[in-house]
Amino acid sequence: MTATLTVPDYREQAPEVAARFTRLKERPVILDVQGLTKTFTVPGRPTTLALSDVSFRVHRRELMCVIGPSGCGKSTLARLVAGLEEPNGGKMLLDGKPISGPGPDRGMVFQSYTLFPWLTVLKNVMFGLEVGKGSSATEAEEEARVWLQLVGLTKFASAYPHQLSGGMKQRVAIARALANRPRILLMDEPFGALDAQTRCQMQSYLLQIWKQVDITILFITHDLDEAVYLSDRILILDAHPGRVREVMEVPVPRPRDQDQFMTPAFIAARHHLEELIHPRSAQTADTLPMFRMTVVGDDVE
Amino acid sequence: MRRSWFRPLAALSPRASATLWVASFVLPVALWCAVSYVPFIWHTMVRVRDPGDVSWFTPGQLVERAAFDAENANVLAHHGKLAAGRLANPVFLPAPHEVLHALVHGFLTPPARPDEPWLHQSLWHSIQVIFWGFLLSSILGVPLGILCGAVPALGRLTEPFIEFFRYLPAPAFGALAVAVMGIEDAPKVAIIFIGTFFQQVLIIANTTRRIDPALLEAAETLGASRRTLVTRVVVPGVITDIYTDMRVLLGWAWTYLIVAELIGVSSGITYFINQQAKYRAYERVFASIILIGLIGLTTDVVLASLGRQIFPWMRGARRGWFSAAIDLFRRREPEAAVVDPAVQA
Repeated sequence: MTATLTVPDYREQAPEVAARFTRLKERPVILDVQGLTKTFTVPGRPTTLALSDVSFRVHRRELMCVIGPSGCGKSTLARLVAGLEEPNGGKMLLDGKPISGPGPDRGMVFQSYTLFPWLTVLKNVMFGLEVGKGSSATEAEEEARVWLQLVGLTKFASAYPHQLSGGMKQRVAIARALANRPRILLMDEPFGALDAQTRCQMQSYLLQIWKQVDITILFITHDLDEAVYLSDRILILDAHPGRVREVMEVPVPRPRDQDQFMTPAFIAARHHLEELIHPRSAQTADTLPMFRMTVVGDDVE
Repeated sequence: MRRSWFRPLAALSPRASATLWVASFVLPVALWCAVSYVPFIWHTMVRVRDPGDVSWFTPGQLVERAAFDAENANVLAHHGKLAAGRLANPVFLPAPHEVLHALVHGFLTPPARPDEPWLHQSLWHSIQVIFWGFLLSSILGVPLGILCGAVPALGRLTEPFIEFFRYLPAPAFGALAVAVMGIEDAPKVAIIFIGTFFQQVLIIANTTRRIDPALLEAAETLGASRRTLVTRVVVPGVITDIYTDMRVLLGWAWTYLIVAELIGVSSGITYFINQQAKYRAYERVFASIILIGLIGLTTDVVLASLGRQIFPWMRGARRGWFSAAIDLFRRREPEAAVVDPAVQA
């Protein structure tokens, strides 16, 4: 690594990228979050402020990543939007209507797969269709097969979740969430438990799916490359308390592919994230208070 | 390889597993054989066969070896007839071959008195009492347990009292049960019910609480209502564990059976055992006890195998006779067949 490498400004956008953002912002707002606040109270401990006055908007068919240091409340944000937690203040509007409680209009993909182990892959995808939309079993099956085809798992329709690999499980979870035709798909570090290679593969699958399906995605991650690679815009949160630091427009043109990792735009975006999330000053402060425990002269560096 | 047998939580090879299974039965039986057949291990007594000229010996009597030898020395000194007997252990433990004989011939031997039941009638009676007691308990206990586990408010309202009640020993209700329900089978079923039900609710409620909460959250984001959460997530999510619990609880029901059958008119296998003990037919007593064990073990093995068939998502599950039967049924009546989604492969 050469420290002298000059990185272009992440705000410089190629004309086609700028045009794309203009079009994106003209699209209707799907999710409108205003002044969202969330505190956690544990008896006998001081109240912790997880999210403080968080506001942002997600437009139709946008893919927005939420990134931030650990403890910034990014998972809490997804759970609030999903309706799994109650906010302490602020408003969340989905298509202009306030969110209350979980519902099939907001799909969620969890890091821990959460497939129902007692159902086959096909039945897992059918679950939401039957339970949430009230489709008949035959309708649901027909539709579920289409979604399985979309994630390339037709062959595994009658397999049980424990027979699948992590990446395959997560594809089923995505198909299951999408089958309900939610307005927004919330993904809470969905690829966090996968190995690096599978993760790359899943990212490109997700981009392909997102391109083919009318879906808006709010994607929680702590992986900077993942955020830049996937997002239109990135919501950067600060920790303790979690608040919006910046909403960054990713200058990398679409369609994306893995080769763009070395383009100036990608490096610029990534560099900016790095500075915001792992500031250089914090890194030096983190040196371990270590005693020398080797023989003098036995140096490795 | 051999060392890995004793590593905590080490997985056993199928062969080792089978060997150990067999050994777990062979070892106690071997010990029993040793005690019964090897004279120098535990034969401190002599069972008198022929009293000879010893005045106080009677046939079948157990005498200390020292006393037996002393008396025989005495008889020898007076040129009398020697007493005969064989070495025996000091408890009423018949030898394996005697018990095996009793086991084989137990079903063929008519009862000592014409009004007494045959062995198979006694057993069948006991099985019926167990069946009804356990069925009634499960019909109420399983749904209540699941609801208590799934709905904390209901659990909090019910479980403390049940926790109290389960410490009241079921046999203590015997006299009351007889007063209320008569002397026939009803109070016996009631004792098994009381013995099983309260444990069942608590155990199943605890099992239900172990469901992964993330599964419930996932179902909620898919649009599941509260009721659907219970019926389509909680129940199938814990059903395999509950099934295992039920196998354990069924074993408990058998322990209550012996007490239950002493209430009112003594009946079933307990009555049979007591009668045989009165006749000093200890090999039949042991045969009956072993029979109870065999029935319990067989039931459990069959239920375990059935579990692997009806819950195909369980680890170690096999497609087998049960799902084949279901398939046959479904092929014939594809529309009308209402099959649990769990068993549809």
